[in-house]
Amino acid sequence: MSPVKSRHDSPGDHDEGRTAVTGLERHYGRWTALFYPADYRRERGSELMDTYLSLAAPGRKRPSPADIADLATGGLQQHLRIAQGLGPGVRLAGQLALMTATVFATGSMVFEVLAPRQPWFSHVGPFQSLGAAAWAAWLLAAVVHVVASARWLRWTVSLAVLVTAGVVPVAALTGLPRPPLAVLLPQIVLGVVALGVAGRRPWWVRLMPVAATAATVPVAIDTAPDLSYYTGYSDLSRSVLPAAAVTLLIVALLLGLGLAARRDSRGAWAMLMLLTPIGMLAVNPLGAVLDDSGPGQAVIPAWSAMVVVSALVAVIGPMLVLLALVARGRLSPGHRPPGTDIYRCPTCGEPSPTV
Amino acid sequence: METPLREPTFLILTALAGEPMHGYGLIAEVTRLSDHRISLRPGTLYGALDRLVDADLVAVDHEEIVDGRLRRYYRLSEAGNRLLAAETERMRRNVEAATNRLRATATSPRLSGELA
Repeated sequence: MSPVKSRHDSPGDHDEGRTAVTGLERHYGRWTALFYPADYRRERGSELMDTYLSLAAPGRKRPSPADIADLATGGLQQHLRIAQGLGPGVRLAGQLALMTATVFATGSMVFEVLAPRQPWFSHVGPFQSLGAAAWAAWLLAAVVHVVASARWLRWTVSLAVLVTAGVVPVAALTGLPRPPLAVLLPQIVLGVVALGVAGRRPWWVRLMPVAATAATVPVAIDTAPDLSYYTGYSDLSRSVLPAAAVTLLIVALLLGLGLAARRDSRGAWAMLMLLTPIGMLAVNPLGAVLDDSGPGQAVIPAWSAMVVVSALVAVIGPMLVLLALVARGRLSPGHRPPGTDIYRCPTCGEPSPTV
Repeated sequence: METPLREPTFLILTALAGEPMHGYGLIAEVTRLSDHRISLRPGTLYGALDRLVDADLVAVDHEEIVDGRLRRYYRLSEAGNRLLAAETERMRRNVEAATNRLRATATSPRLSGELA
């Protein structure tokens, strides 16, 4: 047995401290029930409680804020640990997000280079706006996806996200034109989800963003000469991004249903992860629904409506993922649909006999 | 498990290299081993223990009931022992290399001149 004695093991103060410990135990029990999955509480709850109580100073009535934060962090870790298919789902969502972001970057870059310049608008060298720097960073990420490791890819995607976000302050400081926030924000959110791409990928998966880019170029070249700086990005946010949102939603739904039919939950997790970028892509039509500033539905919604929709999407999307994790943790094995208790390899998603 | 090990993980394995320990004992031992620099909290400790048990580096030794609550004792497995030995050797070589470099720098005439 370990020679280490806990603060409540001392027989001298045991009886005196027992009432306080009982109250404290009840509080720890409530926080544990709130944060930890049911299965884990059944297996580890008593042991976890014993350790917290052993560490608590005599006379303490309630858990400290640091203990509550520790319980929240530990509980989230356990929810993530037991969520079957979450890891592969994050990677699948990352792959789809990277492809979508690359397609936008390609179309936008072609537009930046080929769209006719309007003399009354300022330009950035041979490009329409500062957006060219962000799109170039995304095209670099597509190339890195083919030739380099996942680690390099994450660095490049992070760089692309930073450059895309950095366009806004640089434009504000220099007065140079930039793409509207309705275009930049979905790209940033797609980039954050794309950071989930990890591990070894088959060659055909590596080629997917580049193939999508190649397919976009002819369409973009055909369209770009008919657009101007204003109409180009305006059309993109008003019609192309919402169409992409619907396409991404359908693809994610089909993947989710197809994989669920094989008792593989990674499609469902990918779908949940993609809800936030899908919402951001659809900010324009969603904002138009909220905008009641005039008669009928607004073609270009008010700025305030778009800000409200973006904020709602940014909160609700991640919240749904969190709720799904918690709901998954609260389901006991007896309540799960038959067959879903097959553990899967966190790297490849294949069924595995062990956790 | 990925190497090099993070310091808390290394200290948990080191603490368990002596004898089986329960959660509170492990926290106290890690605090002692790290000269009070690292103070693990239970949520963090059990997260780390779960990963180590999953990786077969740590195993449950025995259980007992104290005040109506379960107390589990953990021990280092064979694989955990090997990993800790390998990691210790890697760190020992690094320390040795750094010590030699520092010794050589301290005795080099250029540095001595600069200091003078």
